[in-house]
Amino acid sequence: MNNILISIIRDSFSSATPILLSALGGTFTFYANVFNISMEGMMLIGAFFGVLGSFYFQSWVMGFLFALISGVVASLIFSLFAILLKTDEFLTGIGMNMLALGGTTYLLRNLFNVKGAFISPQIKSLPTWDIPGLNKIPVVSNILNKHPFIVYIAIILAFFVDFIIFHTKFGLRLRATGEDQETARSLGINPEKIKFSSILLSGIFSAAAGTFLSLGYVTLFSENMSNGRGWISLAIIVLVRGRPLGILLMSLIFGFFESAAFSLQNINIPSQITSMIPYIVTILALFIYSVYKEKSTRSAKKEVEKIKEI
Amino acid sequence: MSYIEMKNIYKVYPPDVIALEEVNFSLQKGEIHSLIGENGAGKSTLMKILYGLVHPSSGQVYINGNEVKINSPSDAINFGIGMVHQEFMLIPSFKVYENVILGMERTKKFGVINKEEAINELEELTKRYGFDLDLNAVTSDLSVAARQKVEILKLLYRKVDILIFDEPTAVLTPQETEQLFTEIKSMKEMGKTIIFISHKLDEVLEISDRITIMRSGRIVSSIENKNLTKSNLAKMMVGKEVILSVTKKPIEPGQIILKTENLTVDFKQSKHKFLQDINIYVRAGEIVGLAGIEGNGQLELVQTIIGESQSLNGKIYIDKNEITNSEIKERRFLISYIPSDRKKYGLALTATLTENLSMTHHLGNKLSSFKYFINWTKAKVLSNNLLNQYNIVARGINDMPKHLSGGNQQKVILAREFSLDAPFLLLDQPTRGLDVGSIEYVHNVILKMREKGKAILLISADLDELLSLSDRVYVIRNGKIVVELDPTVHSKEEVGEYMLGGKE
Repeated sequence: MNNILISIIRDSFSSATPILLSALGGTFTFYANVFNISMEGMMLIGAFFGVLGSFYFQSWVMGFLFALISGVVASLIFSLFAILLKTDEFLTGIGMNMLALGGTTYLLRNLFNVKGAFISPQIKSLPTWDIPGLNKIPVVSNILNKHPFIVYIAIILAFFVDFIIFHTKFGLRLRATGEDQETARSLGINPEKIKFSSILLSGIFSAAAGTFLSLGYVTLFSENMSNGRGWISLAIIVLVRGRPLGILLMSLIFGFFESAAFSLQNINIPSQITSMIPYIVTILALFIYSVYKEKSTRSAKKEVEKIKEI
Repeated sequence: MSYIEMKNIYKVYPPDVIALEEVNFSLQKGEIHSLIGENGAGKSTLMKILYGLVHPSSGQVYINGNEVKINSPSDAINFGIGMVHQEFMLIPSFKVYENVILGMERTKKFGVINKEEAINELEELTKRYGFDLDLNAVTSDLSVAARQKVEILKLLYRKVDILIFDEPTAVLTPQETEQLFTEIKSMKEMGKTIIFISHKLDEVLEISDRITIMRSGRIVSSIENKNLTKSNLAKMMVGKEVILSVTKKPIEPGQIILKTENLTVDFKQSKHKFLQDINIYVRAGEIVGLAGIEGNGQLELVQTIIGESQSLNGKIYIDKNEITNSEIKERRFLISYIPSDRKKYGLALTATLTENLSMTHHLGNKLSSFKYFINWTKAKVLSNNLLNQYNIVARGINDMPKHLSGGNQQKVILAREFSLDAPFLLLDQPTRGLDVGSIEYVHNVILKMREKGKAILLISADLDELLSLSDRVYVIRNGKIVVELDPTVHSKEEVGEYMLGGKE
């Protein structure tokens, strides 16, 4: 029993990482007020090109590099339409996601002549980190040690992104652009440039999330392997209103339930039901959160009214 | 030598609207210089040119004798010129200090904002100018007056020497105004130069060193603030012009059609009363003018009569029907309405003329015998008749208003509204923005409706128009009717003095 619990907690970190990474990227576009739903597609693109690079060069570094470049290219395409040509951001996002799904499937079948999934010993997966000191503590070591290095980086990034958004010049201008573009423009800020940067960051982060899926979580590429994780990350961003530390917490909760659901399949609960659990938890969280928010805004309003009466 | 010199400034909006004509404006270092004039006199345009928001058609700007080109607000800031607009440019969720430094952040390594340095600098500034402002407060929690201070602080942080205030007191309470004046005076003591745009004569007389008066795009005079009275200024602002000649048939007014009883409008969020105890009446066959500087309650009165906003107290009657709580739909059987914003409220710009002309007519059973249906054959006949009757220049009843000139757009609205045959006509700026020919046409149609025995309430910023058309004139100021005047007896200057509060 103890071992099951430990493995559930351990797996929740791997389940959380892709969602965490793509949500951290998406939070830049969230603050810049770009309606960006393309994390799902960018993650898939990153996953594919990660495998492609890793397979051809038999090196995870090249895989990772390929994935990041593909993320940059994908966000350039998105920006070309959404910023330069001023098409609707939502439609552009739908287009990106469909392009990603169709494009990776097409390339998979044409380049590797397989349907469904591509597995090969030539694909090198991301290295894991054996953290000195940590590996000597018994239970903690079992949970936290020897994850693919992106897991650790993603958690550190959550704090780093929080710092960027709330303590740097870029963050200040990013938030200003998102809230009132024209005011930002009146102060000599170029909102288009800020929005472009945010899309670029989102693309890179989502592609990194994809690489973790195909080179860390497993070592293969399968059609539509992002499987809704980009949408979950969008839901989490909106849920916590973009706060990076909130994203960290929510991703870990989601990751925990995903890995718990996975383990529950072993004890005769139909897999269709167990795989619903993380999504049900997300909906519950949304509900609890909005009830809480409603209460706090109501009490804030009351306070304001009281002050006015005085 | 003057600090700022604007020479021979012209601003023409194509094809032929002249906003500024041969304007020469000079500013001395360290003075508080007021710029006054009626709406549309050109004050704001002139200052927007100085701030780089508007480009002059011709003319030069000199700073300390050197000619400069100011192409954008950021140029102006670099030249030391800043402007506090009426609408604030602030990010609501930002803290005060964040709003001030945005766009000109002091940073440490790697673009990290140096918050301590910013706060120290701003604290020093607020202390020096006597601002009472919490730098860490969230902007959306602030009062309007405090937000205005944030805007001023933004300029001081950017080290401007000249601050242009565009009607800064319009949004302030009397106490806040007083405080703003103390701050403006302390800025002057610190060597800043202030330009103060206003049409509140009391304030101008209280604060200015020098006053420049503008009227219809020209500078009338620029004088030192010595031994001036409100009535001096009011006369210069309004000017003496020939009243347009309009031939009016003498008509004995009939019974009272529109009547308001103690109409009061306010908003809970503000202590300011937009309308206070309005008692007016309009009789059949008379045109009653409502004179006033814009923003003194005309808008609220129109909205309350038409039913867009609810009155707090008081009653409105039209033709003996009380309509105080009626829906707009019901009111429209009794009111023909020409809104001041014709494109937004008067027309559906991309619908056909048939649709535009039969709107409101469709409410009754004139266009169809079944409710919920429109007999388009009838609607087309109606539209064709109106098109001919009002000489609307269009490519037929399927044309859209967006293709028509301003004059013809207004004719479409007049045609629709005046053919409703309602007993009361509410005309809000019926000739605004029209050319001379169209204005004459509109005036004639209005006079025809008067002869037909309609009761007409006319609101207009153009005093000449108001006085030549109206049989009686009410003057509204600060949401109250100040006086009722007879245009055959009282002159334009007198009306102007009442409007501006020079005379009570």
